[in-house]
Amino acid sequence: MILDKLKKNIIRYFTFHEKLKVEGFVLSGAVPGKKDTKKQSPKKEESKNKETKDGRRMKKKPQRVKREKTQQEENGAETKISSPFENLLVDPELKVNKEYINEIYFLPKNKDVIIRDFIIQLDGPKRAFAVFVEGISDRNTVNENVLKPLMLHSGLQEKINAIDVAEYLKTQIVYGNQTDVHDKYQDIIPQINYGSTAVFIEGVPRCLIVETKGWDRRSIGKSETEQVIRGPHEAFNETLRSNTGLLRKAIRNHNLITEFSKIGARNETDVAIMYLIDLANPNLVEEVKRRLKSISTDYVGESGILEQFIEDHPFMPIPQVLVTERPDRTTSFIMDGKVAVLLDGNPNVLIVPADLFSLLHSPEDYYLRMPYGNMVRLLRVIAVFIALITPALYVGVTIFHQEMIPTDLILAIAAGRETVPFPTIVEVFFMEFAFEMIREAGVRVPGVIGNTLGIVGALILGQAAVQAGIVSPILIIVVALTGLASFAIPNYSMSFAFRGIRFIFTGLAAIFGFFGITAGLFILLNGITSMKSFGVPLLAPIGPRTKSGPDIVMRGPVWSMEERPDFLDTQDRRRQPNVSRGWIKEESSNKSGGDDNN
Amino acid sequence: MIIINQDPPVKLGYSEAVAMVMIFIGSKAFLGYPRFLVDLGLNAAWLLVFISILISILFWLVIVSLLNRFPGKSLMEINQIVLGSFLGLVVNMISLLYIIISTSNLLRIFSDAVIITALPHAPISAMVILFVIAMWIAAYLGLEAISRNAYISLPFIIIGVTAVLLMLYPFWDIKELFPVMGIGPARLLFNSFLNISAFGEILLLGFLAPYFSFDGTKLKNIGIFSIASVGFYFLFITITYLMVIPLPSALESLTPFYQLSRSIYLGRYYQRLESVFIFFWIYTAFLRLSIGLILAAIVTRESLKIPYYRPLLPALIVIFFSLALTPAQFVTAISIEKYRMWFGWIFTFLIPTGIWVVALIRRKDETSG
Repeated sequence: MILDKLKKNIIRYFTFHEKLKVEGFVLSGAVPGKKDTKKQSPKKEESKNKETKDGRRMKKKPQRVKREKTQQEENGAETKISSPFENLLVDPELKVNKEYINEIYFLPKNKDVIIRDFIIQLDGPKRAFAVFVEGISDRNTVNENVLKPLMLHSGLQEKINAIDVAEYLKTQIVYGNQTDVHDKYQDIIPQINYGSTAVFIEGVPRCLIVETKGWDRRSIGKSETEQVIRGPHEAFNETLRSNTGLLRKAIRNHNLITEFSKIGARNETDVAIMYLIDLANPNLVEEVKRRLKSISTDYVGESGILEQFIEDHPFMPIPQVLVTERPDRTTSFIMDGKVAVLLDGNPNVLIVPADLFSLLHSPEDYYLRMPYGNMVRLLRVIAVFIALITPALYVGVTIFHQEMIPTDLILAIAAGRETVPFPTIVEVFFMEFAFEMIREAGVRVPGVIGNTLGIVGALILGQAAVQAGIVSPILIIVVALTGLASFAIPNYSMSFAFRGIRFIFTGLAAIFGFFGITAGLFILLNGITSMKSFGVPLLAPIGPRTKSGPDIVMRGPVWSMEERPDFLDTQDRRRQPNVSRGWIKEESSNKSGGDDNN
Repeated sequence: MIIINQDPPVKLGYSEAVAMVMIFIGSKAFLGYPRFLVDLGLNAAWLLVFISILISILFWLVIVSLLNRFPGKSLMEINQIVLGSFLGLVVNMISLLYIIISTSNLLRIFSDAVIITALPHAPISAMVILFVIAMWIAAYLGLEAISRNAYISLPFIIIGVTAVLLMLYPFWDIKELFPVMGIGPARLLFNSFLNISAFGEILLLGFLAPYFSFDGTKLKNIGIFSIASVGFYFLFITITYLMVIPLPSALESLTPFYQLSRSIYLGRYYQRLESVFIFFWIYTAFLRLSIGLILAAIVTRESLKIPYYRPLLPALIVIFFSLALTPAQFVTAISIEKYRMWFGWIFTFLIPTGIWVVALIRRKDETSG
């Protein structure tokens, strides 16, 4: 059995297989037909209405909560996992509703869910109960905005229809700024789970939902992984609404769209996509939505997991989604026509599509004046190459190409290596692994010990290794330089990619010298040129060459960046007119007698 | 017959096409080509290059005229339309054979050149294996990836070559270029004609014609531009080679460009730069060989009407590997290359010209396709 399986796998890996259906997506400038959406929407509305009508009829025969049965169905079913209260409607009888709630939330076993019974003074006293989840609902809001108005201010004189009671309470009694009326449990339960308070009333087949979210959360703090000296310091936090708020605060434009959807069947997590509707390519927005919608899983807890679900090339080392925790950076990408994906409970926002160059940029490059920004960028480009090939070059030079370095230096290297008992490659791997371990330990170690770890790692280990004659002193410089350079790469995933690849390069250099390094570079570049992120080649705008402003590796002055990147195919290509500094135009027109070149 | 091409759609732009062709033609400059030129033209080798450029451009215009009769069709399809499916297939197979032999021989020469310049104790098979693996991966990833890679790396290669040549400025001796006519005008002209094989790789544009996102006029310009610019570099390298290395030694060097980079001496600290330039020319070798492999795969696919090219790669790789290791010695490979240079124009220029003539006579154009 195992052998057969193994044989099948080996054959599968070494033979060619037709791809069944390649869902290739190429970002193009075409605007999708609006007709389709128009056609679809009334149908959807119709079916929705039908459901409600059917539902209303069904309400006379209340269903039981189908927990067990549904779970059994789930086991065999490949489709989306259905909730146990699907199609369950609010019953006019309060007692039945309470039973439902007890059953859904496993009460009284589950201590988080609170049921508060009270009486509303409508035509006569009406019994009611409120349901909310302790810890994620704000106590004061529940008291002040739900219970107080319903118990105190509901002394009604007028007669109202039983069904309209909820609507009446919503419009005239309850203070909550976001209130709603629902009759289906599948609409009610997720809201309770997300901090809202549900009010069920005797004789009313609808439920009043009042938004009472309120939990302990981190306030908006400083950016920790993408620090800048010049520029705003605030960072996203774990609350989705705060994050969308931060972006909306920055982009005060009615065209900024925030679309919500849910991912995860067992634990629905809110995911928001934000884009400018008059700028972002509609095909791109559709593709993002399509990929998000198509995800069928139990739970997506972190944006890193979501990234893995939506990226194009999961096995390639280079990331294809840009991750940032900075609202200002996200804002600039949205203003370029990209799409931001925000996941609830995450301070990291995903930006798509990503290109390799923006992965190597830092927001500060733009905030600094052009010469400084370029200097930093040049430094970073050099850092990328140092991080990638320095250990490999060292190995290549010491093993194969001694003739390429000046005699004095080679003598120094040879003298340093004289006492070292290991081959170069062993000593390089030893030190590189030690360095990686220090780095990993630095992340995992409790903060108190963390500070000392650097000293222990760098000083004691390096110094002692040299003194013990295990490694040569020049190697310490090589490893330290490589480490420093890899820290200079602004994107965390990118840094990981280069750190991993450098080991492969070092191995190649140990076997083939510079020939091996060149082979590695060739294969790497070929891999990168074949990659795409949401239909956009990763190396755009230079591989393939497309029209682009002066912002690729180096950047031009901000006033010369007149057009948005061509590869995004945005609805409006132009960022600013050819002469964006009006005062220059005024001066020149004054001189030349009012000639308008713009 | 309709070709059911089920590979992912490929569209190459102007810049990518130029870069790919330039590297496809120009890579031989890193091998024995400058020596071959000096062999043919002695002191007037540079003049020979100049004349060859002009002749090659003339041939290219003929090929473009053939391609423009059948817009959007590759040379393989055109062959079959003009000559009928059987004869067309025969011609295509001859082209394929030429591509395979030339690429595998280059694979051997490049591998040997790596041994000579960088890894003197390494076995030849190890070099060939690494080349072949990289070629396989690159060809598997597709034409788009290779062409973009070529476009991105071409500026660096040009900078590297220019730097080597300019750094030799202190050794330039203009007297070495005289007498101007070298071996005499008649022989010079004849040898220039032989030398057009060096530009035969321009046919790549014809083989890949359906993949380009531009029209026939641009294709013509790309061809002329590529021949002219690569020719300029051949000229530059040949002149430098003649001026720096004395003629008797210039006739003997196995790897002239490497010898040039070894000759650089700009003071005590800038004298051993050849290892740095190894990166440039080996990178070019990888690109050249990968283009050769994918071209062979595409020609096979289109000639034999196969839906995919990727399954062909392992078979082609084995053929390349075996053919590369067939010559017993490096010198044998070099003499094969010499014969290729002498007679390559028959395959690359004469056959397409013949087909153009047949197309004219039989009045075949796109409507008959």
